[in-house]
Amino acid sequence: MSVTLTRRRLVSLAILLPFAGAARAAADWPATEAKAKGQTVYFNAWAGSEQINAYIAWAGQELQSRHGITLQHVKITDTAEVVRRVRDEVAAGKADGSVDLVWINGENFRTMKRDKLLFGPFAEDLPNFALVDTAGKPTTRVDFAEAVDGLESPWGMAQLTFFGDGAKLGQPPRSMLDLLDFAKAHPGLVTYPAPPDFHGTTFIKQALIETIADRSLLPMPIGKEQFLAVAQPMFNFLDALHPHLWRKGKQFPPSQSQVKQQVADGELLIGLTFNPNEPANLVATGELPATTIAWQHAQGTIGNTHFVAIPINAQAKAAAQVVANFLLSPQAQARKADLAVWGDPTVLDLTRLSAADTALFTAQAAPGSVTAPAPAIPEPHGSWVPLIEASWLERYGA
Amino acid sequence: MTRIAGALPLLALWAVPLLAALVMAIAAAASSAAWTALLVHPQLWPALGLSLWTGTAATCLAFICALIISAGVYRSPAWPWLQPLAATGMALPHLAFAIGFGILIMPSGLVARLGVGGDTPPNWITTQDPLGLSLTIALALKEIPFLVAMIWSLLAQGDTAAHLEGQWRAARSLGHGAGSTWLRVVQPQIMRRMTWPLLIVFSYGASVVDMALVMGPTQPPPLAVIIWNDLNHGTAANNARGIAGAILLTLAIGSLAALSLLALRALGVAARPLLSAGPSPRPAPRFIAAASVGAAVLIYSAVLMLLTLLSFAPRWPYPAILPPALSLSSWQMLLTSSPALWLSLGLAAASSIMALVLVVLWFETQPRSRDRWLLVLAAASLALPQVLIAAGQYDVLLRLGLTGDIIGLFLVHLAPVIAYAAIVLAAPYRSFDQRYIAAARSLSAGPWRRWRLVKGPLLRVPLLTAAAVGFSVSMVQFVPAQLIAAGRFETLPMAAVTLTSGGSRSLSAAFALALALPPLLVFLAAAIAGRTRWR
Repeated sequence: MSVTLTRRRLVSLAILLPFAGAARAAADWPATEAKAKGQTVYFNAWAGSEQINAYIAWAGQELQSRHGITLQHVKITDTAEVVRRVRDEVAAGKADGSVDLVWINGENFRTMKRDKLLFGPFAEDLPNFALVDTAGKPTTRVDFAEAVDGLESPWGMAQLTFFGDGAKLGQPPRSMLDLLDFAKAHPGLVTYPAPPDFHGTTFIKQALIETIADRSLLPMPIGKEQFLAVAQPMFNFLDALHPHLWRKGKQFPPSQSQVKQQVADGELLIGLTFNPNEPANLVATGELPATTIAWQHAQGTIGNTHFVAIPINAQAKAAAQVVANFLLSPQAQARKADLAVWGDPTVLDLTRLSAADTALFTAQAAPGSVTAPAPAIPEPHGSWVPLIEASWLERYGA
Repeated sequence: MTRIAGALPLLALWAVPLLAALVMAIAAAASSAAWTALLVHPQLWPALGLSLWTGTAATCLAFICALIISAGVYRSPAWPWLQPLAATGMALPHLAFAIGFGILIMPSGLVARLGVGGDTPPNWITTQDPLGLSLTIALALKEIPFLVAMIWSLLAQGDTAAHLEGQWRAARSLGHGAGSTWLRVVQPQIMRRMTWPLLIVFSYGASVVDMALVMGPTQPPPLAVIIWNDLNHGTAANNARGIAGAILLTLAIGSLAALSLLALRALGVAARPLLSAGPSPRPAPRFIAAASVGAAVLIYSAVLMLLTLLSFAPRWPYPAILPPALSLSSWQMLLTSSPALWLSLGLAAASSIMALVLVVLWFETQPRSRDRWLLVLAAASLALPQVLIAAGQYDVLLRLGLTGDIIGLFLVHLAPVIAYAAIVLAAPYRSFDQRYIAAARSLSAGPWRRWRLVKGPLLRVPLLTAAAVGFSVSMVQFVPAQLIAAGRFETLPMAAVTLTSGGSRSLSAAFALALALPPLLVFLAAAIAGRTRWR
């Protein structure tokens, strides 16, 4: 059959055209909600935290009663797994995909965006997106220096945070140079996870930010030659730091969770996390002592936003958008920010909320929470990461 | 006709999908860029060396210990107890053992708390040492029960036991001591039949990821860890490098295994004069065997005790001898996963029974010469990194529309169970004394009657061992299950791995015990059911 466009087809296309973009428009939100009713959303989200799982379960109950949507939490260990699954499904021509919504950011988002595996743009058309603090929290629109372009909807904030037992630490080091002095004074009791562990890479990025001469290079793409030149102060710092680390910097723990465990056991003094409230959560579950303190480097630490995205072959796209919108609602965001629930910082601009909604956000200090928050520094451009990982491996890998 | 009919189910349900999975996975690495990227990886060669070294050393250590234990305990009053004891050790998942063993020996572990004390843990390098010694020892300790159980089941096999009885008496009457008789009569008969079990122990040790992450060095880590990181990466280029790495590791494991086999043959020829020498009054190594069993029992008990304690202890800071506070929260969390437990039990029961039926059907209908292909495929499927096979299986099942489907989930559980069943059953099945069948035939018993009344009962011990091993293998399937289930089903290991990915040691310990319990019960049941009048 030929594919020439007949006049009739052109006419029907012309009739359909106004509707083609309609699904995206916030004006048509009631239609999206109506379509969403009765759908099941398979939400693929990391499940390593009891608090997060309980929060997602709560969101499921709310969505069921408010919108008739069944939210099924697909518990995963690693989002890269989901990226691979969607890629394989799309390659195999599977239109009824197994993933409706995925918790994502950074490299996984970039991969899905570049490989055209994402539905959208949809995020900025969600009614609640108007409440997002895009000016104060620019990482809600730029994910690891990659433009979001409405392909993922912001969910929460993350920032590199350190923690330890205040009873043993005294004054915690609040810069990389302080950390070097601290490590010299406490040999063998400080370390960081080996890249490509995400936290290990972030630690090195933080060292890069604190040592690089010209920070304006960081949001831009970079090549190997230039990287090696401008990152030299970072390598000098690491060279100076490593002899004082755990196992004299010859071995590194493979994961952040091992570092955390070693801090809890007393083998290490300082742990690190990307969730500023993880230390407080760990105090609440009894994994860390009540004397735990958490801090960020005084000049700021790397921060980013985590998002939810809809794969291009999702079955319940309408319901997935309703879920994303619900997760942005003041009620859901406030509950998420509550330390007793999860403690994940909000992406919303509280000044844009009604007085009643603002009152939902009751900041409270708990043992282990960050007392003096520092500014969040955006992630360097994605092209820095493979260079950091490869050169670290070459220098310290064997 | 029966030949084709006997092989068809195994080929259709296992071999063909598995081969297709391998082809698809390997085809994905057919890019020269992936190989270039692999070859310039600065850790490649030291990491490969480390993998082969830990695998080899752990296998040798475990096999020597297993032989000494078997030699010392064989025909002693303790012999019947060896099988349930080994079963207990086998039931504990590898990762669980590594966690428990780690908390025993690490600088902030129980040994240091009891022996050293002080405010901060000692500066020991007892885990994650650069040479991988702690990983090697942990692997060896974990494999001793498996090898002992294999040897035990070979020796307890009805027809072999009957032969050995006579040979043992003859050798003893010629003046051979018990140790000499073992060395010259019993051991040579089991050596060849241990080839495949040893091969899977070796390939497991050289490709293990979860234990290596807990006990192994990191700079460089064993190659399997690098591969695992690459295969789990979101970008296609890293995935391809991971697949190339997996192929390299598998080739290296295969080559080293082949070389070892040749060396062992040469050694066997060289040792022949020794075997026919004698008589020698050498006694059985009772003392050293008892000491080895005692040490192993002590370590396993400590590991189980520590895991139990940890499961109730959210925090256990150094140098406290006991955790400061106990909590039920890990077990409460576990209880929320009880539907996952039932699904896992169902899959394990179904896949171990199905595997047994298919493998027995193969051995009953196929000529022995074809076994080699079956066993090579089985060993390869166990030696290749699970992530790689899982990716291939996923591709195949995706095209068949079986992802997110219970049949697909069952098939990926069945695959490794069949591989283990084939390897466990091959030697007992092929060394079966056909004269029993001839005798039964002369009494005009039909094929089914012959199997049910003669062969089945005589092979009861290996069959039960294979079923129990299969059950325990199925119970811990994670990687393929997670991919195939696509969030539509949850098994117990899936719940365990995802819920513990936050690094809660208490929860890991609770899940480890929960994962160990069903296989333990099945192993013990098999050990009890295996106590036959043939002994």
